[in-house]
Amino acid sequence: MSADALALSESQSTARAQETLVTVPCFANLLVPVQEAVAQVATHRHFDAGQVIYLEGEPATALFILEKGWVKAARMSPEGREQALLFLKPCEVFGDVAIFTDTPYPATVMALEPVEVWAIDKSAILDLVARHQQLAMAVIRHLARRVLYYVGLVEDLSLRSVEARLAHTLLSHIESGGERLVVPRRAWTTFDEMATRLGTVRDVLSRALRTLEEEGLLKVERHQIVILDPAGLAARGDRYD
Amino acid sequence: MSQNEMERQMDEQLRDAVLQALAADPRTAPLDLRAGVLNGIVHLGGSAPSDDDWAWAEMVSARVPGVRGVVNRIEAPGAPSPARTINLNLASISMKGEQP
Repeated sequence: MSADALALSESQSTARAQETLVTVPCFANLLVPVQEAVAQVATHRHFDAGQVIYLEGEPATALFILEKGWVKAARMSPEGREQALLFLKPCEVFGDVAIFTDTPYPATVMALEPVEVWAIDKSAILDLVARHQQLAMAVIRHLARRVLYYVGLVEDLSLRSVEARLAHTLLSHIESGGERLVVPRRAWTTFDEMATRLGTVRDVLSRALRTLEEEGLLKVERHQIVILDPAGLAARGDRYD
Repeated sequence: MSQNEMERQMDEQLRDAVLQALAADPRTAPLDLRAGVLNGIVHLGGSAPSDDDWAWAEMVSARVPGVRGVVNRIEAPGAPSPARTINLNLASISMKGEQP
């Protein structure tokens, strides 16, 4: 490849990274020169469905910005039980907690479908944060939101029943499907995946779904869950049993 | 040093030992394998050419003293998906630092 072609390819790559960056809520309002500086050090990476992006306990080398596809972050409890921590969709950032705490990655992140990400090396992002106050504030905002998310997860797992957790989780993934409110079932949404998110096992999850269905709050269809009574489901989700 | 830092250091040492064991074994040495360790549990990634090598790498790692369990997420033909849900049976294994 000629030097000109390589330069073009690099500039295209930077432009595409910048396009992704502006879709990330915490980075969207960065000044253009800061966006460009971040985009210039971002490296594109592709992962097939099922591939590991990083492993829990591995040294943290980069943070990632998700351009396309869903990923799952899961952590193994000391007793050996897998707990799903996050299901992330495009425009999300991950790997940052380990980068900014200078610790190994606290969870394993896996691609649930074909995934396109932008990786930013640890040293590069630390250098950029030191030079651009606006980026530092964006990172703080993102980390603070993540803390709030984990506060909610702790509340979910420690205080709510499985039915309430399920109701709460379904409501946070609700979409409009024509005239109905639905939670679409993705190819990777298995009972095992849902159970690890809810901190339970497949049989208990199955019973919880049946209970909510019998209460007339939802209807389980092959490719989606139809929410019949969003207000009732919200009340169920707020119940501390 | 806090307990967290001590545990992290122990996990880092265990990770080094696992990577050394994988590098020393003639069957796993040429493979492109990765490892992370948290709470004495080894997480394996990378790729192997066969499910026999997949299982062998897990066994090599499990034999390292101090390893409480192995989460095998290595990619290999015929092996289970690396992204599957994994639960280990560690009930009968003592926590690191505890005497059995």
